[in-house]
Amino acid sequence: MEKSEMLEKINKLAGEIGRDVNLMEVCGTHTQVISRSGICKVLPKNVHLITGPGCPVCVTAQGDIDAIISLALAGVPVATYGDLLRVPGQFGSLDQAREKGAKVFDVYSTEDALKLKEENPDLVFFGLGFETTTPMTAWAIKKGLTVYSTHKRFLPAMEALLAAGEVRIDGFIDPGHVSAIIGERPYDDLDAAQVITGFTEDDVLQGILMLLDQIKENRKDVENQYKRVVKKEGNKNARKIINEVFEIGDGDWRGFGIIANSGLEIREKYEKFDAKKKYKSILDKIDFSKSVDPNGCRCGDVIRGMINPKQCPMFARVCTPENPVGPCMVSVEGACHNFFREAE
Amino acid sequence: MTMEQYSSISLDMGGGGQKSSELISDIRKIIKDVGKWKNTGDDGAIFKIPRNAGNLIFTTDAFIIDPIFFPGGDIGKIAMCGTINDLSVMGARPIGISLSIVIEEGFPRDDLMKILRSINKVSQESGVPVVTGDTKVTEKGKIDKIEITTSGVGLAQNVIQNNGVEPGDLIIASGDLGEHTIALLAKRFNYQTKIKSDSKALDKEIEKVGGYLNACKDPTRGGLAANLSEMAEKSKVKIVLNERDLPYKKEVKAVTELLGLDVFSLASEGRFLASVSPKNAQKALKILKTFNREAKIIGKAQKAKNKQEIGVYFETELGGSRKIESPRGKLIPRIC
Repeated sequence: MEKSEMLEKINKLAGEIGRDVNLMEVCGTHTQVISRSGICKVLPKNVHLITGPGCPVCVTAQGDIDAIISLALAGVPVATYGDLLRVPGQFGSLDQAREKGAKVFDVYSTEDALKLKEENPDLVFFGLGFETTTPMTAWAIKKGLTVYSTHKRFLPAMEALLAAGEVRIDGFIDPGHVSAIIGERPYDDLDAAQVITGFTEDDVLQGILMLLDQIKENRKDVENQYKRVVKKEGNKNARKIINEVFEIGDGDWRGFGIIANSGLEIREKYEKFDAKKKYKSILDKIDFSKSVDPNGCRCGDVIRGMINPKQCPMFARVCTPENPVGPCMVSVEGACHNFFREAE
Repeated sequence: MTMEQYSSISLDMGGGGQKSSELISDIRKIIKDVGKWKNTGDDGAIFKIPRNAGNLIFTTDAFIIDPIFFPGGDIGKIAMCGTINDLSVMGARPIGISLSIVIEEGFPRDDLMKILRSINKVSQESGVPVVTGDTKVTEKGKIDKIEITTSGVGLAQNVIQNNGVEPGDLIIASGDLGEHTIALLAKRFNYQTKIKSDSKALDKEIEKVGGYLNACKDPTRGGLAANLSEMAEKSKVKIVLNERDLPYKKEVKAVTELLGLDVFSLASEGRFLASVSPKNAQKALKILKTFNREAKIIGKAQKAKNKQEIGVYFETELGGSRKIESPRGKLIPRIC
């Protein structure tokens, strides 16, 4: 279907529904695609796209950020994905720790981290992200990489959003990459219309169209628009390696706090690669009561979809991609970063 | 925008983005004197030779790169082409290059010979000689393998600068962009791809079309995003690109989608972006197509209504419009 044809159908359905419809996208890559394409500008006025907690860097808890920076400052070599290096905390950012002489590396993959380990045997990899990145971390732990895990299961966050009821969510644009691992079934219990959606502009438009169709017919189904990548049963091998290395714990999320059963901690079998245990003496000295959001930063509210980035008083005034106050402005997958990049 | 004073040098400052400008402006606060040379923020400085005998253009560039060998080239080729191209995009005919090499102790002789052979190859093919140089060897661990600095001088009758974009001008890309970065990334990630680095010397093609160009720049570090934005800012115009005419191959876009990278930030090492008046655009394009069939018009310059409008915009098929911002220098792949 051509874009113009899809838009026509979207307009027609939105008209038939009549009321305001909130659709939440919960994957950083969707945030980027939607922003770059300008989809919001061509949607009918009553269809609202809201960015949810889909940016891994953004949802990483302040305490975890402060913990990894403490390790780096204590002389432990640290590696992680590029964006995280700039997130500020009570001890500055990892980038600033590197300027002071700490060994901090940004890597593209855990494979890169394993290579770095050859010359830095004590290297700790800061593992972050959802089911998308967790299998690679699990693989690397089995190869002997020491990890500080902040990996998270995504579904509990969607449940928490619906349970809190702060924002009415009529439908979820389900995350394509996460779904490729977990499959379709886990979404069944969520009380909202859902479409697992791919990452081209056409995919997103079609996902929106399918959601509106469900909403009009009062359905709350899980549909799969991204069948070319996401299989009904997901990726069993990837899940197997996650389960082998990680066990479910309580996860700490920026904006939410603790969400039960959302965390992934390293199993006892692999505890010698668990940085939280290996460096307990350093981590115990941190005053986590000071691990709070930067003064005035509203990333937490942005992550939960409570406000749009432009409603934050610091947006574009104090907080910019060059001098970010909070992680949502740091990360290329963050809502604030993408809003800032959009032309007026 | 508030700008905090930095206390030490961060990696961002080498990235070619806003933080780099901050560093350069600090350098210029201390080293102010340029004598009779003129430097307008192009890659080279200009010295007007008395009695209308043309202009001497002088440029220099340091190269550190990982990996040093990649599909379509190596650090030697990049170091030569980079300096030849910096002269060429200013409308200068390169006449001589200097070559300084700092080598880490233990560097394999075979690798060094390979790099020197590719330097010689570019020199022979372009007819630009390496006229002087220096070598140093440092203790192991003091630098990463090898670092090369080239400087070059060239002669230009008429200097082309990057601030000459006029409202109404058409923007031409001399070929598809971004293939240098993709070749490097593919090597790092062990992807199978047919994409090779686009590195090559641009002197011959610019010599042929130079007379038609109002402004010109090679989109190396920071890609189209950084370099076309700089042209727009210095020329105080709004440049609008159309989604349908973007100068990127399908395979390049596929890799950026896979990794979640911004396609506009990918670097090229053998391409240029030029601004040409509508009456000359087809003539220039016809000549450029004899060098690269993919040369094409990618957008148009307009008068900026106000200061905020100055910059490069990208219009999507859906009618969305996004300002293309200069990248921070480091490419960040997606993790969600």
